[in-house]
Amino acid sequence: MTAAHTAVPLLEARALSFLRQDEPVFAPLDFQLHAGELALVEGDNGSGKTTLLRILAGLLHVGEGELNWRGKPLQRDNCVGEILFLGHQLGLKADLSPRENLQIATGLSGCRDGTSVISVLGEIGLSGYEDEPVRRLSAGQKKRAALARLLLLPATLWLLDEPYANLDRTGIALVNQLLKTHTTAGGAALVTSHGAVSFHGGEPRHIRMHA
Amino acid sequence: MSHPGLLTACAAMLRRDLKLAWRRRGDIAMPVLYALIVTMLFPFALGPEDTLLQRIAGGVVLVTVLLAMLLALDAMFSSDIEDGSLEQLVLAPQPLALMLGMKILAHWLTTALPLIVIAPLLAAMLHLPGAVIPVLLLALLLATPLLSLLGSVLVALTAGTRRSGMLLALMLLPLCVPAVIFAAGAVARADRLARCRTGACRGAGAVGLRSCPSYCSGRLTTHHV
Repeated sequence: MTAAHTAVPLLEARALSFLRQDEPVFAPLDFQLHAGELALVEGDNGSGKTTLLRILAGLLHVGEGELNWRGKPLQRDNCVGEILFLGHQLGLKADLSPRENLQIATGLSGCRDGTSVISVLGEIGLSGYEDEPVRRLSAGQKKRAALARLLLLPATLWLLDEPYANLDRTGIALVNQLLKTHTTAGGAALVTSHGAVSFHGGEPRHIRMHA
Repeated sequence: MSHPGLLTACAAMLRRDLKLAWRRRGDIAMPVLYALIVTMLFPFALGPEDTLLQRIAGGVVLVTVLLAMLLALDAMFSSDIEDGSLEQLVLAPQPLALMLGMKILAHWLTTALPLIVIAPLLAAMLHLPGAVIPVLLLALLLATPLLSLLGSVLVALTAGTRRSGMLLALMLLPLCVPAVIFAAGAVARADRLARCRTGACRGAGAVGLRSCPSYCSGRLTTHHV
């Protein structure tokens, strides 16, 4: 870990803020995220957690301040395919099955070495539901189908907006396990959550949001 | 780690949209039925007089196909905006304009192509002479992609607004006038002159093909993601 900290951080924000109708959505933020680290974004409802994640994903423009990816300003070109965003909207087509949804995802973003759509669906706890239309799955199962992208797609930074929502106890443990495996393998993750979270493998970094 | 090539991604995108359309094939049938019913109304309204119907047949089929396409147009991007697929598409390594281009192509294949397939039937219902039908089909083949492309721009503009369907119709129909004039002119002459008119239509289509998907991608990323 000490070696990683001297290196260039994966993601670095300096006095980052976002303006909506010239009003800042959250107070200026400063943080760094290195490879192998996990950050928990905390804040009340409406404090801008989702907005922050969308900025980091490149879905919203930076309002003020600086945002660097591996030491250079974050732009689509230098982080393409390295950031995986999982928002409130799961990005699943309701008329397609989990298998078909994941096949499209791999068609666009590729897939990790040694994984396949079917193996990943088994791992995430959806065996037996591979070919069921997503429309007919429960809210928790839909969430799992979306989380399967984490296992399947190659990415360095995970941006997870409320990944625990709708999940049962084993699902929550599964997400924690995924986060541990990802950070041990040199990935990083930013997670927002309302509930109490117990990560495996050390205390996460905390990013507090103030409106 | 290398990303899948553009061709793989385009194929995945096209396959996805075609599959989605097939799962909801009732929606594909809707514009086709609409076009059939509208065309059927003309002989009832104007009387079964052959010469009159023959004279208006080309124009009627063109306008009917245009209106039928409008029915399905506002669904082009809306479901992707609602379920978050658009976000994933924006974050995918491929250029968004290309992916949206694939969506527009899939949309054309699932709404315009069935209408072109039944166009000879529509024409026959209005007693259009058989010799003119190939020209009509050619005019439709050139005009409908243009409508899909123009439509995509307006769908991107109006997506997310309430009652976007009505607004879309009000904005798109005036823009369709040139395409309708060219296509109707070609059908009316059905001779050598048609070739240069359809050529103009094709030129406009090429311009649209280059600019419309990029416009959509810009508009959708700034306002709806």
